[in-house]
Amino acid sequence: MIQPFDRLIHNILIGVDESENSRRAVSYVGKLLGGLPRFNLILLHIINEPEEDFFADDAERNRWMVEKQEIAERAVDAAKAVLVGEGFAPERIFPLIKVRYCPSIAECILHEAEASQSETIVIGRKGVSRKEEFLFGSVSNRIIHQAKDCTVWVVE
Amino acid sequence: MQEPWTDERIVAAAAQLLPSRDDVGRIHRDTSDFFKVTYGDVALLGNRAFLVGHNAKEGRFGIDDEVKHWVKRCIDLEDGSRKIVKLVFYEKFKASIASLSFDCFRSPRKEARILDLVAGHDQFMHGYWVKDDAGNIVRIIDYIYGSTLHAMIQDLSMDHETYYHETLPEILNNYIRCVEAIGFLHHHREKHGDIRRDHIIIDRETGHYRWIDFDFNYMHRENMFAYDMFGLGNIFMFILGKGDALLGDLKRNRPEVLDRLTEDDLNIVFHNRVANLKKVYPYVCEPLNRISLHFSMGAEIFYEHTGQLLADLNEAREALGQGERE
Repeated sequence: MIQPFDRLIHNILIGVDESENSRRAVSYVGKLLGGLPRFNLILLHIINEPEEDFFADDAERNRWMVEKQEIAERAVDAAKAVLVGEGFAPERIFPLIKVRYCPSIAECILHEAEASQSETIVIGRKGVSRKEEFLFGSVSNRIIHQAKDCTVWVVE
Repeated sequence: MQEPWTDERIVAAAAQLLPSRDDVGRIHRDTSDFFKVTYGDVALLGNRAFLVGHNAKEGRFGIDDEVKHWVKRCIDLEDGSRKIVKLVFYEKFKASIASLSFDCFRSPRKEARILDLVAGHDQFMHGYWVKDDAGNIVRIIDYIYGSTLHAMIQDLSMDHETYYHETLPEILNNYIRCVEAIGFLHHHREKHGDIRRDHIIIDRETGHYRWIDFDFNYMHRENMFAYDMFGLGNIFMFILGKGDALLGDLKRNRPEVLDRLTEDDLNIVFHNRVANLKKVYPYVCEPLNRISLHFSMGAEIFYEHTGQLLADLNEAREALGQGERE
């Protein structure tokens, strides 16, 4: 159980997926804070549910969901193993896999940070090119610009 | 009360539009296999009968036309009007633009939803949808007589400066309405999905610029409208430049312009096109050129939604008007 109202405990939300930049973010937190008490780590993996149009039928949607759920669990388990290896108590680590339709992933992350009363958000920077940012947007840039009442760590 | 379409009535009505009664093909109530729906057949959809003509074709900027086997040119046997009948075709693929790939898909449901949303809106194609006997969502589109924005601008024979002063203001007015129309879709959380200059048809009857083809969609990442904004930017630069300002063309025809260009002046995605059009056409006013620069490699910030683009467009349109009066 996360203890959001215990002021001695600091909630840190880490954005986790199967990418290398996410692994860097997890590793950074592990090396920086591993072994220290007073931190809850929330490992957030968002399964960005496509619009209903994406699937021809429910069977295709269900297959997609099962596959993404497995990927999410693997990513979160791997992150947890790294953090435990760096000295975090397993009971302080809270996997949080959310299936959501996200017009903006950044806004979904910010929403979950607020809901979990996290004081710090940690994300890995993908390092998108200007062209990529133009065509698709940048999650880390939007989080930096829109985060309120919390600290943001962007791990390069 | 509408008379029901019996097989006998269908054959009789179709035969009047074909060389003989023997040319009337099969009657389809299930259109799942769109390859089997061919010339001379009739599709019976929602108690309206459509005589099938040729498949629609779509060209892309000089590339040979591609036959769209699921899109049929038809005649509504009830009133003789021309329709485009779009049968169901699910397609998923990786699109690639300038080495960046992303997931795209075609969705009849999306197009049906948008047809309902834009009914009566001047800036969109119109039509309705019905389910055939197999439950396929078939879209029946009113045929628009007119040419595409791409073809219209390509066919203009005047020089750029004359075009800029005499023709661009009116085109810009219409483009602004097109951007407002995309803003209307975005406001309703819908993407167009395939914004291209040949997906605007200039209605010959009303003069309205009308968006067509809404069945395309893409898996967005951070900004769900970014790809639509990219499309709007490309059209803007095409309009302002009276075509794409290609480095190859400049090298051949106006090599002195190349000396003025830097990397920052190029289109952020298509590096063979110039975005800083003032360096090519010095009389282009600053506010218009600033919009173009938002789509250049040197851009500091990008338009994230149509509201930002429209604010600049309206300001630029005013500046262009003042320039004309001076």
